[in-house]
Amino acid sequence: MKKLNSLPMWILMLLLTVGLLAFGTLRDRGPLTQQGRIDAISQQLACPTCNGESIYVSRAPAAEAIRNEIAREVAAGQNSDDQIVAVIERNFPGSVLLPRTDGVESLVWILPVVALVGGLCGLGLVFRRWKNAALLHASDADFAIVEAALQHKNDVTDDENI
Amino acid sequence: MFSAETLDVAVNQGLAGPLGRAALLVGIIASVFGAVASIYTARESLREEEARTARLIPRFAALALLAAVAAMTAMEYAMITRDFSLKYVQDHGSRSTPALYNFTAVWSALEGSILLWVLALALSCAVVVWRYRKKLSDPLIAWAMAVMFIVLAFFFLLSFAPANPFGVGAAGVTDGPGPNPLLQNHILVLFHPPILYLGYVGFTIPFAFAIAALVTGRVGEGWLIETRRWTLCAWGLLTFGIILGGWWSYEVLGWSGVWAWDPVENASFLPWLTGTAYIHSVLVQERRGMLRVWNLSLLLATFSLTILGTFLTRSGVLNSVHAFSESDIGKYLIIFFGVIVAVSLWLIAWRGDSLRSPGSIDSPISREGAFLANNVLFALFAFVVLLGTVFPLVIEALQNRQIVVGEPFFDQLSTPIGIALLAMMSIAPVLPWRKASEEVLRQRLFWPAWCGIGTLAVSLLVGADGLAALLTFTLGGFASGAALRQLVLATRRQGWRGLVGRANGGMVVHIGVILIAVALAASNSYTRSQELSLKLNTPAEFGGHVFELKGFENEKTDRLTAVKAIVQVDGGKSYAPAITKFVQMGNNIGTPSVKSSWRYDLYLTLEPPVKSESGEARIKVFIKPLVMWMWIGGGMMAVGTLLALFPGRRRRPTDAVSARVDTGKAIDA
Repeated sequence: MKKLNSLPMWILMLLLTVGLLAFGTLRDRGPLTQQGRIDAISQQLACPTCNGESIYVSRAPAAEAIRNEIAREVAAGQNSDDQIVAVIERNFPGSVLLPRTDGVESLVWILPVVALVGGLCGLGLVFRRWKNAALLHASDADFAIVEAALQHKNDVTDDENI
Repeated sequence: MFSAETLDVAVNQGLAGPLGRAALLVGIIASVFGAVASIYTARESLREEEARTARLIPRFAALALLAAVAAMTAMEYAMITRDFSLKYVQDHGSRSTPALYNFTAVWSALEGSILLWVLALALSCAVVVWRYRKKLSDPLIAWAMAVMFIVLAFFFLLSFAPANPFGVGAAGVTDGPGPNPLLQNHILVLFHPPILYLGYVGFTIPFAFAIAALVTGRVGEGWLIETRRWTLCAWGLLTFGIILGGWWSYEVLGWSGVWAWDPVENASFLPWLTGTAYIHSVLVQERRGMLRVWNLSLLLATFSLTILGTFLTRSGVLNSVHAFSESDIGKYLIIFFGVIVAVSLWLIAWRGDSLRSPGSIDSPISREGAFLANNVLFALFAFVVLLGTVFPLVIEALQNRQIVVGEPFFDQLSTPIGIALLAMMSIAPVLPWRKASEEVLRQRLFWPAWCGIGTLAVSLLVGADGLAALLTFTLGGFASGAALRQLVLATRRQGWRGLVGRANGGMVVHIGVILIAVALAASNSYTRSQELSLKLNTPAEFGGHVFELKGFENEKTDRLTAVKAIVQVDGGKSYAPAITKFVQMGNNIGTPSVKSSWRYDLYLTLEPPVKSESGEARIKVFIKPLVMWMWIGGGMMAVGTLLALFPGRRRRPTDAVSARVDTGKAIDA
């Protein structure tokens, strides 16, 4: 068991995991089907009459109409997914469900990163402070107190056993 | 006693309205007097005097519960007897609604939902009073009761004034549209809202004790231990309510998903995230006396977020298909939210000195270190969900334009956080308290790590791809291995008792969470769909299955017209996706039909327009892997929470509680 647990074995396990993950990530699964593309595009757009629901989720007539429009664009095969999203957005401004990465909207992307960095820095600082506090070594007097307490506890236990 | 005229009005308008209003008024009085009695009891007890008012607290709690039950009964009576003298019944009742949905119509809209909240809160208040009936003179308990009565009084007031379901409607109305069509085609409407509300309301109990601890200055671990099971109960109910909501969405909405990051869904998820962080970090305080301010803050944030969520979904400020209609209660809720936050922060600042924790964490590679890291991740997750939910309001305020922050944003940010949480779940259960050596880690993580690699290999063999999904499967296997290791060790040591208690029940909950995470990753990443134009008795193939339209079934009643397409799958059982048009509402509601198996679900929806006369139907077929495991995972989370509520093995005081700390000097030398 000790051999199995050795550091080289762990390195082997890590390499195996990375290798398998790389294989799974990079293997070619072929292009999306037409329906797959329609679904992927409709997940990025909000239905204009459905209080924030995506075209993919909504069963409203407006969503149905836009889904059909997307299906027509996909069947025509001339535009990429991004171009189709742009076409729909031109007709229905503000329908893209993903906020932009420029202007004020970029805040929605920046703030989580700031929060993550702040959280990690805070965690680091707290651990550092605690580590410094833990570095205080116990004196001989402290050890004497603990030993006396343990001795006292053992005496009490012995008495109880009697 | 009553004049003939009064009786005539009561008979003509129905008794429910006056009775309901009277019950709400009694509830307000009972909860206000309950709060006063509790505060007086607490003050007297601090002076070490026996307060006679302590005996009044249970009476006020019972009266408030009675009032809440009477108000709810009156509302149900009005709905069931179709008392169209009430505006609420005019708006949400109907003569043609079936009995079950008529019963649930009471909480299908804003005013009724607040009434349900009142009932759940009055019930919680009464249960807490009963539990501590012999300790009501204890200032901590008395202050906790005062807080609960104040919150109850607020909700009674909301229900009595701005969200009164007993308001009188226009004269001469004899029928109404009934509840929202989506709320009248699945039995889960009977369970999902009440359970979710019990979860929300349940967090009032630990919140009340936290405030009481701050007021009385008893900020040690006593109040935590008192509220441990209440918190777990509230968390369990909220979890179960959210899972039932996902199931409902899957069975009813027809887009084959369980979670759409809708603001109302997010409103329930936010307190769940902070509540989950709390039930982990509270262990550090119980064991090591640390993180007092952090735990208090998490608890106060959890309760505040339930109020904020209620504001966001009931004030009309956010667009959501789930949201209740616009109303006046928003301003009251936001003021209440502000008061809660201000009072909580002031109390924490006031007790700042006594909240300083005496201990310190010896090493980041320890159980408490892992809990802290997990808390950072949960807090970040909650921040992302809150930011995404309220960001459209920010843009509207700054630039006077409307945007929608939807599923793609939440998916992109929640996926890495979820994967990091799975990684924590893989490692944390094997970590000892205080400090872990490299050797211990290598030994304890060995088999769980192989579980992860094995799961990855199997996933690749069955054709999985994509980094996020593969990482989820790998870490899911790893985390399952770590949880199972703990359960195996515990049951070997203690037999069946190794399954109960917080730590071991928690591991069952972990396995449930892992199943849900894996099922979500699989169903989101590998769903395939196809729209099939089916003609009568002409088979069509998709995804290795044969679908054949066998006919149509039409249903026409006063309430609705429905058409079902009968589709035979693989020459076997037939399924019947439907489209229903509710007469009073006018819109089409799709009802999916699902063939479930442990590997994948076949999810069929009927797409409009339906040409039943020409024998044609457009059926959309979704093939969704592993969906059933989501419900099994939800069930395991519920079972795990129940197991965690039972007391585990008591640790003897002489048992070692943690790994030895290297102080540079052997203690037994």
